This record gives sequence, C-alpha cells and structure tokens, in this order.
Amino acid sequence: MIEVKDLRKIFQIHKKPPGLAASVKSLFRRDYVEKVAVAGATFSVGEGEIVGMIGANGAGKTTLVKMLAGIIHPTSGEARVLGYDPWEKHNDLRRQISLIMGQKAQLWWDLPGADCFELLREIYQIPRPTYEASLRHLTEMLQVESELTTQIRRLSLGERMKMELIAALLHSPRVVYLDEPTIGLDITTQKSVRDFLLSYRKDHAPAMILTSHYMEDIERLCERIIIIREGELVYDGSLQRVIHEYAPYKRLTVHLSRSTSATMEREILDRLGEVVEEQAGTIVMHVPRDQVTSAAAEILRKFDVQDLSIADPEISEIIELLMGGREKTTP
Amino acid sequence: MNPALFLHLMSIESRRLLSYRVDFWLTMVVSLIVQVIVVWALWTAVFAESGRDIVGGWDLHGILAYGIFVFLMGRIVRGGDLQMEVATEIYDGSLSRYLIYPCNYGLTKYAQQLGNIFPDILQSFLMALIVLPFMGTSTTVDLNFTGILMSLPSLLCAHLLFYIMGLIPQMVAFWADNVWSLSVMMRMVTMLLGGGALPLSLFPEPLQTLLAWMPFRYLFEFPTLVLLGKVGLEEWITGLAICLAWCVVFLLLTIPVWRRGTLRYTGVGI
Repeated sequence: MIEVKDLRKIFQIHKKPPGLAASVKSLFRRDYVEKVAVAGATFSVGEGEIVGMIGANGAGKTTLVKMLAGIIHPTSGEARVLGYDPWEKHNDLRRQISLIMGQKAQLWWDLPGADCFELLREIYQIPRPTYEASLRHLTEMLQVESELTTQIRRLSLGERMKMELIAALLHSPRVVYLDEPTIGLDITTQKSVRDFLLSYRKDHAPAMILTSHYMEDIERLCERIIIIREGELVYDGSLQRVIHEYAPYKRLTVHLSRSTSATMEREILDRLGEVVEEQAGTIVMHVPRDQVTSAAAEILRKFDVQDLSIADPEISEIIELLMGGREKTTP
Repeated sequence: MNPALFLHLMSIESRRLLSYRVDFWLTMVVSLIVQVIVVWALWTAVFAESGRDIVGGWDLHGILAYGIFVFLMGRIVRGGDLQMEVATEIYDGSLSRYLIYPCNYGLTKYAQQLGNIFPDILQSFLMALIVLPFMGTSTTVDLNFTGILMSLPSLLCAHLLFYIMGLIPQMVAFWADNVWSLSVMMRMVTMLLGGGALPLSLFPEPLQTLLAWMPFRYLFEFPTLVLLGKVGLEEWITGLAICLAWCVVFLLLTIPVWRRGTLRYTGVGI
C-alpha cells in the first residue's frame, strides 16, 4: 500500500547568527545551509501493518510522514501510496488517507467536536448512515460521547487527542499516518489510545506508520520498526529481530545473600561480563549471549545466590545503540 | 467543491464569529462612531473653507453619504479577521491539514471568507439603519431600491476581486516568513486608489481615466456609487465585466504562484 524508493528531502535553512548587527546584515544578505532531512529512504508498508518509525528529534521522521501524506514535496526519489503519487494530490488518494499530528491540532479550535465532524462528513462525502454509525462507534470506543458539544479549545489534551483520532478515522482511511499521537498524554489516556488503534487495525486493516518517542507505543502497536538516524534508515525489520540480532548481550540480575565487596569475587564477575549496576547485594550484568549459560552456572557455583534471572535487554537500550551508529540493515 | 460543503463552510465561519457577542457589538459601535465623526468633520470643513455648494460633483450631504456607505461597503468587501488567513496558515503550518483534505484550498478559504462577512453584512445593515434618519437630502445622490438591488452583485464581485487580489501577496509567505507589511501596503493602495478614502471624481482627470481600467475602483467606489444611484445600467454592466475580468487575471496569476509555493512549503519543522 505504501512503496517508497530512495526518497530524499533537503531543506535550505536560513542561518541567523545572534545579535543586532547580524540581524541588520540579514536584511541585505542571507546565508543558507543545507539540511538533509531524509537521505534516500526505501521501504514499503503493507495492508494491516503498523510500522513504528523511531529516531531522535530532527532525525527526519516527520518530514518522511509529511512527504507520504503529500504535504511537502521531496527533493528526489519516488513514492506510491495506494498506487498514487502522494504529492500530485489526487482527491481519490486524499479520501483514503489520514494524518494525525500529536503536536499540532488539526480540528477547528472554536468549534465543538460535533460541528467539526459534520464538516468532515461533507469534506469526505461520507453517506449520512455510514457517518452516524462510524461516529457512534468511535465516540463510544474512546468514551467521549459527552464531550461532542464542547468547543475543542475547552477540552483537556487527552480529550482533544481523542477527538483528533475520531476526525482522522471517520472516513475509514486505508492509510493512516500517526505522528506522535500520544505525546503529552497521561498513562491511562496513552493506553486507551493504543487499545483504540489496535482495535481500529483489527476492524479496518489499514497501513499505518507511527512515529513516537514512547517505547511503550512501539512495543504494543508495532511488529516492525524503522530506525532513522540523521535522515538515514539504519534499521528496517521486526521488533523481535532487533533484540536478537542487535543486542550482543543478555541482562543477568543476581541477588546475593551478602554484598560482593571482596576483590576476588569482583574479579570473577568482571571476567564473566560487564557489571552495570551494583547495590545492596543486587548485581546487574551484561553477559555475551553465547556465554550466558556458563556465566550463570559459575555464579551459582561460586556465590551464595538468593535469586538469579536472565532477560533480554530493554528495547530502548538496543534502539539507542542503533541510533548511535550501526550500519544500515534490512531483513 | 460540492455546494453543500461550500455552504457548510460558510455557515460554520459565521457561527464562529457570531459566538463572540461582545466583539460583535463593540466593533460595530466604535467603528461607526469614529467613521461618522471623521467623515462629518472632514467634509463640513472642506465645504466651509471652499465656500462652494458642489465639490467634484458632490454636495455636502451627498459626499457624507458616500463617506459613510463606502465605509460600510468596505467592511463587507475586505471581510473580517481572515484577511491574512492564508499567509498565517502558510507561516504556522496549519495549511498542512487542508493539503490532505480532498477539496480545493482556494474555494475552502473563499467559502470561509464569505461566511466571515456575514457578521459584517449584519453590522453594516444595522449601522445603515442607525445613520439613515440623520442624513440630510442631497441633490447629487439618489438612494433607491433599484440602486440597492444593483449594488448587491457589484458588492459580491468586489468581495471576490479583493479576495483573489489578496492571495498573491499572502502567498509570498511561502518565500518570506512575514508578509504583514505587504498586507498593510495593499490595504493602503486599495483604499486610496479604490475610492475608500475619498471619491475618485476628486482625482485629476487622466488618473480617473486610468483608474477606470484598473481593478481598484471596483473594490470600493463602484459598488458605493451603484448604491447611491450614480451609475447607469450600461456603466453598471461594463463595471461588472471589468471587475470579473480582473478576477480572472488575478486567478490566472495565482495558480502558478500557488504551484511554485507549495513546492517550497515545509509545513514548519523537520
């Protein structure tokens, strides 16, 4: 449903040094720098797939989403969304896509949700019975039926985001772009938004691209992730594969009967792996994956152990590692 | 764009504005008082100083009527708070949402502009009702039903022309961050050359001839003269035709600027 090939976007940004003299100078002459926001992205997203797009601030995630939504034009490259070129702005395509931007309200600030949705019904030419059924279903799921007559600007952030979600999904789009949909929301609202998105995926099977800084969003919603670093795609594959292939270690947590202050005991631990945390008889170590069994056995043999557990490291740790400088990889 | 959507956009914009009740009454009362005082003080002084009964084809009561009605017409033609809407949306990235909607942006904004002037129409009508009883009789103007009827299409054309003319300066926002100065400049030029400040019959003859073919006159002076019964049927038809021709010219200029502008649009932020 979404095909992207070697998509690039370079922005020209006006450089403005601080100070009055520089401001006066900029009236006559301006210096520009080129900023590569997306450097040759190639990937595809299929029906019913939710792809998580992860990267630091300014990595190029939002730019990529804006290009695929047809809002901005690429510098070069190709993209097809449902068979259309997104920046040609075909109405047939625009009727089938949707964009939710967590950082930017898209509904009409002074109008109540009910008026906004009615206007969207006209914009998307949704037949009245379909619209009413869809609105009822969405408002019930997100539990905002009682807020429909309240002006958008008078709603809480969470309620506003729920209204944005309804507005974006009223016309049952086949492609949905979600740019940080849970930003700033409390934990309960984040969870209800995630549950809602999963349920929507189950019912409509759209292709979804999700950008988020919350790992919980990614882990709960996406089987596949794309990691972007400074405009480049450095990883495109399953969430599970990123753990198995890119975490060279396992996390070993040992609870001892007493603390390991003795130099000899510490030497043993340092030989088995890297001690990353040590406090009040609890030691957390990173141990190479292929040595984890023997390391655990040796610890059990040589120390007075109360409890020992082995786990994969946190996904956020691995992603941080990848965003920090691994080479590009695809499945 | 389907008519139902167009009307819906208009209606929503009107409802939005009418919800600000204090703003509605305050704007009306203050602006009317200021305009009446300015027009009355200016023209009574001019006529007293000149010692003439007729200046530029107007007697005192006639030009006072022009001063008041051109102000009321101007409010409708310029519209309310959406004059810089397109530039603002380009600047702050709100344009993005319209770019993903399956409808024409220019028509969407025009529908909103039309909805936006509804409170202005209401205010102008109320202001006219307040002012009319105090207007003396004039030998140079003839406010009658035919003039009122003929002024409506002229007003609609003027509004459309003002909207389309304003699009290009606003779209400069694709290239420059702040286009407020352009908007102020356009307001000044259209006010002066459009007869918003004083009737063009007071200008030198060659300039009047030139302005008859320019778009500015059809924004403010023309619909006001039609209302005051100073335009014959033939001149009215010619005036409407010139006004619509300028609409087409500006529209044709707008399309390539929009295309080039949207190529540069960043939607704010990376």
